[in-house]
Amino acid sequence: MRENFLPAFDFHRTFVEPWSAYFDNTIWIVVMGFLVAATCGLIGCFIILRRMALVGDAISHSLLPGITLAFLLTQSRDTLPMMIGAIAAGVVTVALIEAIRQSSRIKPDAAIGIVFSSLFAIGVVLISVFADSVDLDAECVLYGEIGWIPLEDQVVLGGHEIGPLPVIRMAAIAIIAIGLLLAFYKELLVTSFDAGLAASLGINPGRFQYGLTLFLSVVIVSSFESVGVILVIAMLIFPGATAMLLTDRLPRTLWLSALFSALYAVLGFHLATWLDASIAGGMSVVAGAVFTLVWIFAPRRGLLMKYVFKSHTNVGSSQSSQAEMTAS
Amino acid sequence: MRPLLDRFHFLILALLSFLGLTLMAGCGSQTPEESQGLKVAATTTMVADLAAAVLGEYGEVHGLMGPGVDPHLYKATAGDVNTLQSADLILYNGLHLEGRMADLLVRLGRRGKPVYAVTEGVPESELLEPEEFAGHYDPHVWFDPILWSYCVDTVVEALSEVDPMRTTVFKKRGDSLKSEYEALREWGHSYVSQIPRENRILVTSHDAYNYFGKAFGFQVVGVQGISTMSEAGLADIVKIVEYIKERNIKAIFVESSVSPATIQRISKDSGAKIGGELFSDAMGMKGHREAGPDGLSFDVGTYEGMFKHNLVTIVEALK
Repeated sequence: MRENFLPAFDFHRTFVEPWSAYFDNTIWIVVMGFLVAATCGLIGCFIILRRMALVGDAISHSLLPGITLAFLLTQSRDTLPMMIGAIAAGVVTVALIEAIRQSSRIKPDAAIGIVFSSLFAIGVVLISVFADSVDLDAECVLYGEIGWIPLEDQVVLGGHEIGPLPVIRMAAIAIIAIGLLLAFYKELLVTSFDAGLAASLGINPGRFQYGLTLFLSVVIVSSFESVGVILVIAMLIFPGATAMLLTDRLPRTLWLSALFSALYAVLGFHLATWLDASIAGGMSVVAGAVFTLVWIFAPRRGLLMKYVFKSHTNVGSSQSSQAEMTAS
Repeated sequence: MRPLLDRFHFLILALLSFLGLTLMAGCGSQTPEESQGLKVAATTTMVADLAAAVLGEYGEVHGLMGPGVDPHLYKATAGDVNTLQSADLILYNGLHLEGRMADLLVRLGRRGKPVYAVTEGVPESELLEPEEFAGHYDPHVWFDPILWSYCVDTVVEALSEVDPMRTTVFKKRGDSLKSEYEALREWGHSYVSQIPRENRILVTSHDAYNYFGKAFGFQVVGVQGISTMSEAGLADIVKIVEYIKERNIKAIFVESSVSPATIQRISKDSGAKIGGELFSDAMGMKGHREAGPDGLSFDVGTYEGMFKHNLVTIVEALK
């Protein structure tokens, strides 16, 4: 048992050693943390605007029937069949959420709740009926661990080791995400803010919603597979939400969310090193701390500013801040 | 639209330059300083204890999972990757106890790191597998000291491979460890004889004690399935309560790494008392001594102590 709750802070061990003695490990963990946070953060900005911020959490539950069916069909707990089952379940999840949302008066949050709890329940029932005698849960057959990234197989290109496979894969997903964002920026923007306007401009908001969320489900499941669940859920929400406290403009929000992602990755890694704790946990804690700081000290909408200038500002303005956000 | 796109170019540029910088930086590598003796990394507390018993003073064993940690809930800490990387030898339980981490270790092994699953020496005929899923073996072999002896051979072989100079020493220690385990099983058999054969029914949280049951003549009833994730169904609970009443079972048991709620509920409904806490997927705190009846004293942070704790707890409650 630890004698003190917090271990003594040792500057050399916390900040110098990771970048000297263990450089090769540190760099890949931090890069991976940044890539996951930045990719999830970019997509997260749009997800938050559509009030679907909890879709990551939802998928982490609803993939249970997917991996169970994949196991029953293949009789194997290898990563590939588990991954295919999980992606299929993820796609079904977001498709159902969209279908309920678009064809009824149910709001996205309730639709998410309906879909993931029923799918998760189906998974629990499937396991207890058919697969009770094997150890089958997402935590041990699917979710990866960011701390092990440096130990993964290296991708070799032209005789040079360029990096661990999951990092290269995540970088590719990041580039695809940015490419899609650039290609469909206008459509994403309009459908996120004003479905009516989108329709009048000839953009089918329904189709974009499906497209965005399907891509999202693939990103989420493959991130689960490489870094585990908590980091992904946190990074879908924190970078975007924190940035939105600082600016009303979408491009600036995207920019800031990428900046925050780098901050989470670096500071989170060092926090975890200091405490000898889970790295994904450290990065998520830093994200929570940065959010809290911004929430209190944000120059225009921070709690502190509101308190100081209580008589001058309209306290209710934060509620409408999402609607105020513009593309200019 | 123009300035907007420019902003995005900046974003991409920033992303790419960050990547580029880190990739370049990644090429320059340094190795941590050398230290004396072998560095062995082990996953569970049982594997770490076994490795330390054979290795002794010739090196250091780092256990990744601490006492009381359910292998399913284990999260790697920032230091663990360095421990694995700088280890001269990695030992893990195998049989899917470590889940996906085992895949990673196998890949590390393929790249030339000495990596061994300690259970690989256990003959397949001795392993238990569920009827409907062939090949998905029960990993809890350490509850039968004889099966665990097979693991000693694997550890001796693994250590001899990384330190061939000390093969004879490791072999000798392995042999004495095996006879210790044999003695432990003998002791277990005679100790268990205090419980009449028809009362040897072990009701616990999850299916961890099948090898134990087979070795010591217990019928084992796990309330939940083998996964610590699945929950007991209502019908299962009712069935077990009925069973306990029918067989007049005196006590049922909770496990150190599984929530006791369901067992407490069953205890209340059936009238069987809770006989105590058994170690399942992890051992106790190192140096934590416990006293049993007849002047027994053992350290629950060791394999032998863990085993004795379980046996004493079961026998005291059921005899």
